[in-house]
Amino acid sequence: MAVTSVRPERIRSKRSMARARARAELTPRDRVIKFVLGAAAVVPVAALGFLAYEMFKEAYPSIVFNGGKFFTTKTFTIGNLYSTGVEVRHGYKAAKGASFGILPLIFGTLVSSLIALVFALPVSVLGAILLVERVPRRFEAPLGVFLELLAGVPSVVFGLWGVYTFGPFFARDVYRYVADLHIPWLTGAVGSGQGLLTSSLVLAIMIIPIVAATTRELVRSVPALSKEGATALGLTRSESVRLVTLPFIRTGIIAAALLGWGRALGETIAVLLISGNFLNAYPKSIFAPFSTMASTIAALLDGALTDSTGMAIHALAEVGLVLLGITLLTNFAGRLVGRRLSGPGLPVGRGV
Amino acid sequence: MKRPIALAFVSVSALAIAACGSSSSSSTSPTTAAAPGGTAGSSATTAQSGGTNMNTGNPSSPVTLTESGSSLEFPYLQVLADPLHSAYSNITLAPAAGGSGKGISDATAGTTDLGGSDAYLSSGQLAANTALMNIPIVVSSQAVDYNIPGVKTSLKLTGDVLAQIYMGKITKWNDPAIASLNTGVTLPSTTIVPVRRVDSSGDTFIFTSFLSKTNSAWNSGPAFGTTVTWPAAPGELTANGNPGMVQTCSSTPGCIAYVGISSQAQATSAGLGEALLQNQAGQFVSPTQANVTSAVNNSTSNVPDNLAASLIYAAGATSYPIVNFEYLVVKSTQSDANKAKAIRTFLAFAIDPSQGSTPANLAKEQFVALPSSVIPKVQAAIAKIGS
Repeated sequence: MAVTSVRPERIRSKRSMARARARAELTPRDRVIKFVLGAAAVVPVAALGFLAYEMFKEAYPSIVFNGGKFFTTKTFTIGNLYSTGVEVRHGYKAAKGASFGILPLIFGTLVSSLIALVFALPVSVLGAILLVERVPRRFEAPLGVFLELLAGVPSVVFGLWGVYTFGPFFARDVYRYVADLHIPWLTGAVGSGQGLLTSSLVLAIMIIPIVAATTRELVRSVPALSKEGATALGLTRSESVRLVTLPFIRTGIIAAALLGWGRALGETIAVLLISGNFLNAYPKSIFAPFSTMASTIAALLDGALTDSTGMAIHALAEVGLVLLGITLLTNFAGRLVGRRLSGPGLPVGRGV
Repeated sequence: MKRPIALAFVSVSALAIAACGSSSSSSTSPTTAAAPGGTAGSSATTAQSGGTNMNTGNPSSPVTLTESGSSLEFPYLQVLADPLHSAYSNITLAPAAGGSGKGISDATAGTTDLGGSDAYLSSGQLAANTALMNIPIVVSSQAVDYNIPGVKTSLKLTGDVLAQIYMGKITKWNDPAIASLNTGVTLPSTTIVPVRRVDSSGDTFIFTSFLSKTNSAWNSGPAFGTTVTWPAAPGELTANGNPGMVQTCSSTPGCIAYVGISSQAQATSAGLGEALLQNQAGQFVSPTQANVTSAVNNSTSNVPDNLAASLIYAAGATSYPIVNFEYLVVKSTQSDANKAKAIRTFLAFAIDPSQGSTPANLAKEQFVALPSSVIPKVQAAIAKIGS
């Protein structure tokens, strides 16, 4: 015991000596660079902190006014702005009939983004592996560019395409037959395509380039030596992908999926156009209109700005704050899962 | 489109009243053109002929008036921009759309000089912002359109039936409630697809006002506003802006949609039917300029001094039921005198039947001029804008 505890200390002291020597040798120019780099490193953290603080400040009246009801009730309405009466709770005023409960919004946000991820993840990963390992080099670059271009398409374009072309087509020619199978929650009126499933599918298409482009870089980073070893051992291509490539990039895929999930969670305009903006209840089926937190903020903002009590804006700020919290939580949860997955097995996957 | 006679009548009567209604004095006679600005020329005379001295004229230095808000009002302001600049070379009007909610909030925050809104300010807003005024400049209306394959005639609908459709209680076009209003019309069993606005909309405000006045369940439920809590109706759709309503409805058989009158020409050319709506007198009427004018004239006694008035479901045998003032929300205290003068001048110009609200300008957006009985109140409000 005593012996093992000495070793790291010795290393540490060696390191600190090296650091002290390095500090002594810093020129003024080095110091400026060090300061700039340090400041640059602090900016993202400070920005997130500032954002969270500002949103909390704006949301505070709503937090007091609504209390726990914000998370346990289903009706979200800014109230009748043209009524002369007001609702007063805990010293804060809101328009008559105002009620702020975001359960269906949390549901819509999580479910739509998860369905999108379920569709996007296998497509992206398999596509990326295919692109790197099977497609000839001269086709890989143009296809890669295409993928990156897809990532650059503005979300409003996806939204308009979804609401006018993709949604009606799927409702007419696909959903109807799915609904006829009468699987619970996958059945019911398919409507015109504005709803949860269409939004999720469009979200999936939007996040595929992000997940696929990241995965492509990962697949490229798999050492040729490992793959050659697999071939030398007589593994087939599919075995090589399953036993060498995938374990190697597993953690990286989790990170890529989190990137995509984050995008799907916060996507606003496309969902605003396609979701059908149905508030105050859970969608009756996977085809039915619904709403997410981000799209509701955008849809109600104009009206909320005309609320003379100001509570509607505070409530939307609280929705934003909760969305921020959910995004951070899912990110941390994903990282935890990723660490667990990459625990045993091949250590090479860890550093990616 | 085809309503020049009614329009001419309104303008002429407005002029007549304006010409002889100067009982409340004002020292400026119509012929003393040399208004305080000096160079205003003859255009200043008509602006002051209503009886209230609005102190208008060309500002001494160039002023740009920014506007944002109602997408229904926006094209009309674009129509006014050029003639305004010709009449008053130092005033430039820069309108932008964005929705009535944005118009009100921008004007309140002071990020725009004029906030366009189809909805008047609520008593809460007026109380919270005492410097805020809503000035009506023109009268608009709203059509209820539908897309029913095989039905070419104009269907008769009531506010009560519309409310039940938007509440999901009437779901088929051949529902007895609709069929009994339209004897002789063969209605299909097509499912009704109600379309509503997703953005904060003055059109939603006036449509839900109509439903609130004609259906008690709607009145005690969703009520009215630029954003309301819509009940769940099966298959309902949402659309952004009036053009979006027309586009969505024309691509969806069975749909019903409410469309601001300035987009009704597109709706008609897209093949949508226009409903005849039942007014308070029980008659079924269409949004012709004559019927809209009748609705305004029957509502003018309700217009308070702060001009926040509903023209919905007016009395009168020929009155169209969904009619509203198009407002510009403005602060009564401006940062400098020149800007205040420019705003007064523009507003006076806009409501003047010989300048802004000419039949030609109004016809471009299917609007109707303010009734002559309201103009003195509007002029009194304009005169309050100072610095």
